[in-house]
Amino acid sequence: MLGKNLAPLGPLPWVRSKKPLSQQKIALITTAGLHVRDDDKFAFTDASYRVIPRELRGDDLLMSHTSVNFDRIGFAEDVNVVFPIDRFRELQESGAIGSLANNHYSFMGAGLLPDAYEASVRPLAEIMRNEEVDVAFLTPV
Amino acid sequence: MTTGISLVRENAEALQPPRTLWVPFPLGRPLGTPNDVEFQQRVISAALDLLNREHGPVLEDFPEDIDASQFGPLSCPVSFKQTEPQTDAWPERLRREIAELKPWYDEGARRRRRTTVGVSPLDMQANADFVGQAVHARGFSKEDIVTLKLAVEDLKAFYSEALTARPGPHDADAVMKILWYDTFLGEALHELHEICRNDESLKLLTLFLLPRSVQHDD
Repeated sequence: MLGKNLAPLGPLPWVRSKKPLSQQKIALITTAGLHVRDDDKFAFTDASYRVIPRELRGDDLLMSHTSVNFDRIGFAEDVNVVFPIDRFRELQESGAIGSLANNHYSFMGAGLLPDAYEASVRPLAEIMRNEEVDVAFLTPV
Repeated sequence: MTTGISLVRENAEALQPPRTLWVPFPLGRPLGTPNDVEFQQRVISAALDLLNREHGPVLEDFPEDIDASQFGPLSCPVSFKQTEPQTDAWPERLRREIAELKPWYDEGARRRRRTTVGVSPLDMQANADFVGQAVHARGFSKEDIVTLKLAVEDLKAFYSEALTARPGPHDADAVMKILWYDTFLGEALHELHEICRNDESLKLLTLFLLPRSVQHDD
């Protein structure tokens, strides 16, 4: 998406926080094309997502992102530089956040404009709502 | 609610998601510095703090950058292209290079207790054969594009993990410079890029072989 002229995503879905962070349930969503080692790889263009279970060790994640225009050495050295799962576990243990969701989610952000992801994202938002996730923490790559 | 990180400020300005923390780090490193727990926590804390804003959309800048002075000179564990007769076929060149790097790849995997190799269904020697054969034959079947892409990704991961086997911090640009310009793999991928560029049925792969920064040097 570098350098593309993009229109705003739409009317701003502004929701104000109703409770302190220490009571909120958080899920991580990455667009780094991460997945569990045995899961399907991402295709060249791919708007689907993969589930990353809460208990999974970050070290068990692979990256099948299409783009070659970003550094992967940082990810090889420390999964948290892309997907900060250990940092959020620390926040949970310290009580800074309420809890982590049962699952986190991964998309592969390359080759498609944001509209293409809507068909995957809307049902996923419903799943997260049903799990009473308060905050989706979004990380790119 | 959502909050998150952006590595490309222009995109966040255009798309206007509700809450975005822009970070000045290289693409591929949204949390900044590998293995720096405190730095990563500061990034997360700044992004979570945006949840307290009364109005949006919010786009704020993270006030710190990574410390580039932490990178020392890269000591490459292998001397590339030193002993290889130029008459070798590409699969053999790559196979021998992989054999030289294997102890360092293993060392790196032991130190990190993980590897990012594994997206290709082939083992590393077969990946080398697949790529080497495509270069040697100056072409390959369109049906093999996906297999070739995954083989290339695993080869690059294998090489970069071997080159960074010793404890860091590592200068990613220096590592990739070695990979692209000092290794037979780098030379093979430049060749492959050229082959794909000249074949309409394979042109798709030119987008996914060489980074833009390397293509500029062609």
